Amino acid sequence: MLAVPLWRAPPPPRQMPTFADTMPSTFSRSALALVAWLGLAGPALTQPATAGAPAATPAALATPATNPADPPAGIVKRSQGEVSLERAGQRLPVAAGTVVRVSDTLRTGPASSLGLTLRDDTLLTLGPDAELALSSFAFDASSQDGNLLASLWRGSLHLVTGLIAKKTPERVKVQTRTVVLGARGTEFIVETLASGTTP
Amino acid sequence: MSRHWHPPRRSGRPLAALDHLAGALALLVLAACTSAPQAPPAPPVSDRIVLLPQAGGGPSALEISTATGQRLRLDQPYASAELRGGSLLAVASDAAAVQARYGSLLAQQPARPRSFILPFETNTTRLGPAAAPVLAEVRAALALLPAAELIVTGHTDSVGSVESNDRVSLARAEAVRELLVSAGVDRAMVSVVGRGKRELLVPTADGVAEARNRRVEIKIR
Repeated sequence: MLAVPLWRAPPPPRQMPTFADTMPSTFSRSALALVAWLGLAGPALTQPATAGAPAATPAALATPATNPADPPAGIVKRSQGEVSLERAGQRLPVAAGTVVRVSDTLRTGPASSLGLTLRDDTLLTLGPDAELALSSFAFDASSQDGNLLASLWRGSLHLVTGLIAKKTPERVKVQTRTVVLGARGTEFIVETLASGTTP
Repeated sequence: MSRHWHPPRRSGRPLAALDHLAGALALLVLAACTSAPQAPPAPPVSDRIVLLPQAGGGPSALEISTATGQRLRLDQPYASAELRGGSLLAVASDAAAVQARYGSLLAQQPARPRSFILPFETNTTRLGPAAAPVLAEVRAALALLPAAELIVTGHTDSVGSVESNDRVSLARAEAVRELLVSAGVDRAMVSVVGRGKRELLVPTADGVAEARNRRVEIKIR
């Protein structure tokens, strides 16, 4: 099996571009660089899986965060306490049913939690005082090709991998500031206690 | 103030010597528990990772790498790792420890996706007679889910091209969607997928008309 060269072209996690913090002019370039960095093939991105969604064009794919026509990456199933979502610099409220898109950042406050199901059945649960960016996500429901990179900048995350990890486990990654986890079809918890600001 | 130094007195505590003994013992026990003889102020933990058992009981593993190139593979249930001062170390853990530390996190998980299979009459988009109770079960399960989604996936047998099977499987899924909508399910909750012949329920060679492979899966989550 071909290994995805996550560490072969290694910008340390600290320097990962988070889209919300990036100026619009450099946004597309960052998104493309991230996609290229992850070694993602085109076909995974070309077919929208949700019926009724218009076919995604290559131009639309370059700016996944801002195209409302893209199928959602996931849907919030449970939200407790103080939970917010940051998209393109805007802070939005979160409740069960809230749509989550690529490059959104989710935050929970004290005594709060969030449960999110991605389109490929990946289950993400965030504990209190946590921050998670959906740095990369693509999923083609017909072929089950796709990729996931979740960035846990604060707090604890429970993750159950979905269909992408079943087919191509090397394309499912979770990173903190200091470690990168490659899931091999599984369920795990990661907690990051390192202090610091969001990269 | 006395010119001579006296050891501190513990008047009224005749068993003070035993205290010292207990202290010494505690230190010994502590030393025995520490796997490596390190200097006492250990660097703080920056990351903790726990591999949990696979729901189906199958094998699973987690590959951990650090920015400095250290690697560690966890492949046993509850195997754990800590990153301490930049060093990645395997640490002992078990179900009870995970429950104690992460019980409230685990309790907030979204529902696991659940699948139901609808059999189809041969070469049609008509459901077989066994479908009605399955649909009733789907609706009952759906009522319990917050922000529920239904993913209706059509499958075919291996007769024909990928393209034609993708079309047929999508048509089957769409037929089931209409059925669900007419039964009162919100259309916005339903998405349809044609998997064609990519996921045979009964593995066959290409070009085999196997009835059990012509089916629709309804997944709710």
